[in-house]
Amino acid sequence: MKTVMIKVHEVWLEMLMAGFMSNQHKREFFDFADILFRHFTWIEDGMIRAGEEYSYDRGAVPIKVEHLNILIKDIEVRLSDIELQLMSLEDRALASRVDSDIKYMINVLTQMSDEVISAFSMNRVMEGYSLSNEARDALTLFLFEESYKEYELVLIYNYLKAHSKDAYMNRIFQILIDESMFHLKCFGDMQAKMGILATPRVVMKELYQVEDVVKFLKDGIDEEILAKEECKKLAEAVSKDNKELAKFFDFINNQENYHIALMEDALKHYQEVNGIE
Amino acid sequence: MTVDEQLVMHMMEPKNYGQMDNADAFGLGKNPENGEKVIIYLSIGKDEDEPYINDIKFQAIGCTTTIVAGSMLTEEAKGLNLEGAKNLVNATLKLLDKLPPEDAACSEMVALAIAAAVETYEHRLEEPDFPPITYKIKSTCTPKEDSDENSND
Repeated sequence: MKTVMIKVHEVWLEMLMAGFMSNQHKREFFDFADILFRHFTWIEDGMIRAGEEYSYDRGAVPIKVEHLNILIKDIEVRLSDIELQLMSLEDRALASRVDSDIKYMINVLTQMSDEVISAFSMNRVMEGYSLSNEARDALTLFLFEESYKEYELVLIYNYLKAHSKDAYMNRIFQILIDESMFHLKCFGDMQAKMGILATPRVVMKELYQVEDVVKFLKDGIDEEILAKEECKKLAEAVSKDNKELAKFFDFINNQENYHIALMEDALKHYQEVNGIE
Repeated sequence: MTVDEQLVMHMMEPKNYGQMDNADAFGLGKNPENGEKVIIYLSIGKDEDEPYINDIKFQAIGCTTTIVAGSMLTEEAKGLNLEGAKNLVNATLKLLDKLPPEDAACSEMVALAIAAAVETYEHRLEEPDFPPITYKIKSTCTPKEDSDENSND
């Protein structure tokens, strides 16, 4: 089950990256990535029920291609490999459900048309957006920093959710996962447009295997406040050159308010339920 | 930070990032202010009995600048003998002295982690179970007037 989980994690990321770099098949890639992420969580639940130790470690996911069909072929190989691994899964109902989805995905992938990929050109130019060198550098750093951060948050909240039986907390964790997924998709799309798309690095265990939930939530609130500042600075840096982009980062900045409110709510609830001052 | 093509390449594909199973030694560089840290893993080879860095990997809890510094410095350290690695650390720290602390913190953390890993390896030659060394940085990530003095462990 551990191998299946690692492989599903890897192909989820690859599918997501394909969505960023594709222009014609974005929706299919994103939908399939969402389905694969759900598979990932089901397998994780299975491992927790079986009392198996696991982590979110994974191998590298190379994505640098000039043509989309090269990546599609690689995804197909990875999915076929998972199909083989599923044969030895004890939970036959789960194996069958995942297998059925994978068969459909492979069928759709084989019919996709090729595209020339510009997501790795490193030209750092977004069509229709004019930016000064200073704003372009600020945006580049922000996108690398925050795309990794959102991936990290998806994994942290997912791990917390998988290990919590508290429905109220899990509702909040799920909203935060969805929010981080949305931000990750926004930033990944922008990275692809600027020719600087990259797979986020592997997240270290100690970040998601949270031992002190109260400290994690308190630190998380502080981090969100800092993230708001970064968004504000970036909105200011790009606003001279591009009002639309500035509006987008103001929108992201304001969304952080909601994240902070959710985390404060989670903190209050967790402290009340566990009798923590 | 001015972002050139070389930096973007290190951001897109950081060199030597990841864990190393069966490392001969590892060491840590830490920022005590914010919990950021870098771990350096070393695989040591022997060239006519002279130990050298056969392979090196790093992992980090930190920002993009830390990842870029880790990618660049580990590339430079690869293939060096232990004295060469120490020289690399010293040269890096001297260069960082000329930078504002907030710009130096990330690279200092990587350089100190390399020093910690090399020194841990040397200790392990005498004492195989010697624990990994951790060094704390003295630069601070955030500009402020009075920075705390942090001594190394």
